[in-house]
Amino acid sequence: MDDRHDFGNQAAGDVSSGQDASATTRIGLDVGTSKIVTAQGDSRASQAAAQLNAFIGVAHSALAEATLQQNRVPYFRDGEELVVYGSAAERFAHMFNAECRRPMARGILNSQEPAATHVLESILAMLVPQAARKGETLAFSVPAAGPEMEAELTYHEETLKHYCAGRGYTPIAVNEGLAVVLAELANESFTGIGISCGGGMCNVALSYLSIPSLTFGITKGGDFIDASVGQVVHEPSTRIKAIKEDDLDLTRPSEDKIIKALQIYYDKLIQSLVDELYRTVTRTHKLPRTDKPLPIVLAGGTSKPHGFRDRFEQMLLRRQMPFEVGDIRIAEDPLTATARGALVAALAER
Amino acid sequence: MSLVSPYWPEKYRGEREGCGPELGTQLLEISDDIDDPVIKLKFLRGAIDRQSQYERRIHRLPCPPIRRALYRLHGLRALAPALANADPESQEIVYHRMLAARSKVHRLAGSIVCGSLVIMPLLLLGWSWWPDSSSEPAAPATVLASVAAAPRPAAPALPPPTLMIAAATPPAVQEVAYAPRSPVAEPLVPESLGQTPTTVFLADRGSDWEMYSNGLRVETKFVVDGPRRRYRIADRQQGFKPTFYNQPVGILFHTSESDLWPLEANYGSRLRQSSTELLKYVQRSKAYNYLIDRFGRVYRIVADETRANHAGHSVWAQGDDVYLDLNAAFIGVSFESRWQASEGESQEGRALPITNAQLVAGRNLTNYLRQRYAIAPDGLTSISPRQFLIGYHRDWATGFPFAAFGLPDQYAQPPAAVTVLGFGHDDDFLRAVGKLNPGLITAERMLTEEARVRGISPDALRQERRAVYQKWRAQQRGKSSVASEAPIRQVAVK
Repeated sequence: MDDRHDFGNQAAGDVSSGQDASATTRIGLDVGTSKIVTAQGDSRASQAAAQLNAFIGVAHSALAEATLQQNRVPYFRDGEELVVYGSAAERFAHMFNAECRRPMARGILNSQEPAATHVLESILAMLVPQAARKGETLAFSVPAAGPEMEAELTYHEETLKHYCAGRGYTPIAVNEGLAVVLAELANESFTGIGISCGGGMCNVALSYLSIPSLTFGITKGGDFIDASVGQVVHEPSTRIKAIKEDDLDLTRPSEDKIIKALQIYYDKLIQSLVDELYRTVTRTHKLPRTDKPLPIVLAGGTSKPHGFRDRFEQMLLRRQMPFEVGDIRIAEDPLTATARGALVAALAER
Repeated sequence: MSLVSPYWPEKYRGEREGCGPELGTQLLEISDDIDDPVIKLKFLRGAIDRQSQYERRIHRLPCPPIRRALYRLHGLRALAPALANADPESQEIVYHRMLAARSKVHRLAGSIVCGSLVIMPLLLLGWSWWPDSSSEPAAPATVLASVAAAPRPAAPALPPPTLMIAAATPPAVQEVAYAPRSPVAEPLVPESLGQTPTTVFLADRGSDWEMYSNGLRVETKFVVDGPRRRYRIADRQQGFKPTFYNQPVGILFHTSESDLWPLEANYGSRLRQSSTELLKYVQRSKAYNYLIDRFGRVYRIVADETRANHAGHSVWAQGDDVYLDLNAAFIGVSFESRWQASEGESQEGRALPITNAQLVAGRNLTNYLRQRYAIAPDGLTSISPRQFLIGYHRDWATGFPFAAFGLPDQYAQPPAAVTVLGFGHDDDFLRAVGKLNPGLITAERMLTEEARVRGISPDALRQERRAVYQKWRAQQRGKSSVASEAPIRQVAVK
């Protein structure tokens, strides 16, 4: 890949320049399988930005390259291929009725994808400006480590840390579920359960006064639903994803084949999540000793369809949890909750 | 260079052991008062990180109340580092509102506990040794009282713990939190039906609302800050006292004097639009601390800690203490309603009826404010300082449903403007309210009786009192930091 040329910064308006040198940059970064989201600002107001964590390769030609440049589409040239990345990749996937590729899978860098690291760094470059002052804190989300993915997670985490350190930041890793708690449960003194339902994984953290007592994840998420439904209805998962994100309602029975399949696999995902939650909390000795009901917050793009909360609640209430379940709610903005929570951690670490 | 970076903190990544339930309960209570999530997080993390230094020792203590007090003390100590780099606004909110005062209270409690732990064994030893100790049972209590009293400031009246909440003020200005008045609110009036909580406490809250245990829901999305409350009290004999106060001592009820549409479904959008415009106006002009719309929604507009421009020229007195700056000393609560002047001999002036929802919400809000600020009921009226007349603004000059609010009838109380400052009333006022209320009649009688006892005419007594008022008013204008007054609608009673 020696002849790689990156035009991402030009396309994104060169986010690393134009920063006020006196300003501070504290960033919360949600590195999700499906999307990368940043939050900047302070504890009272934050601004979020997002890019799709995906890319697509198109055959190189002078005309194609000129068109990409003209339209300020972020891409890099990799040999005879032009790799379009970020949110633009989805447009091209629709255009060519092809599948987007992902630099990450199951919450961490995709070891099956040779271009994964470079694509991820290119997308990050569009969202993370150079630190205004050296050593500024950047908090990024990481999934909970399952026993089978410890080694890969270490590689994923260290890659991100070194990239961020190279941009002038002091990076800290924040568990994804805990980030949801930090974003949404401040009024409850960061006590409760945060669940981030992302593209590759669902991450859960049980926090007591901001300390994660229990964390775990399941390697099922939005991608699992898209792929499963795509398989049974013979449609590309990119199209399924578009339908899912458009107006899926889990509360209304539908005769549409795709919607019906989406509802089935959503139920499957939620059931797996509830089962794993039940299994984990009933086997652990780490539950906080509090008699207060624990609220549960659901976040992430996969939790967005209407009725997700109700389905989750129905399935959860069938189980006898060893603690009193409090309010179950969807995050104020499910897509940015993890990044906002990471920002709270970054601000607290100054 | 190593590719692995072990020096970066991992505090938010992996599972950790938290704190025990006793420390956790104390930290929860302290952190409830912190609004800023970042400060809250820093505080909790700091307190829990430090727990290893003291938890094992405290855990061994056999007495749960002492353990709890010590955990609270250690928790409060973690506040200072959490606020170290916070912006001044956040520091002020946390310090001035609650936490520094709580810290003080709990340091005090800690010293009492520690003091009693040291002294009690000595006393018991002495008691058992002293040959006639049974004849002096008061000794231990006296000693304990002096231990308790030692760290307290030499204030003229000792406020109860809730009143000390806002006592943290800059040392440069001599300022105390609460006026020296009856320190405990009247007990809440029992509801006739259903169970009511013994105290009104914050039960839940969201980003733009607060829910209290008595069913009061306060919408907070319109909240703005006014200037800080800061006022002095005049003593009837000695003039202005040197002390500045910064806590409310009462509630003034107002009517909004805005457009009122019929409460019918056909007018839904107009009702909403009218309320929305009113809210924006009240917010812009910082006219009241609270507004209750016709559907009974309670909006906090100007933060309780700061003054709204609601009272204009009004006076109020309790005992020898006379209050002249009621914007600073009182909380202004307005009902979306309008005052209707008398229309002939047969009809009295009145506020247009408030809705049942407003009544319920107003009662809940009143109970909450009375408990929070230890407000006891009393009466007052608005004045025209140039003409020395009461009732310059007439909303709720008559007809406020005190009984429904569980309050004594304030119209039966002689207004201080008449008894203390010699103000009178004119025919316009009489026409507007229909007839004099019993309080006014009593006030006039008191004034006449005092003049008779002193051997002067009632008019001479009035002139004397008005001269005092003019002097105080001039002093107040010159010395206190009174904010510009927005046009006020009127003052009622409490």
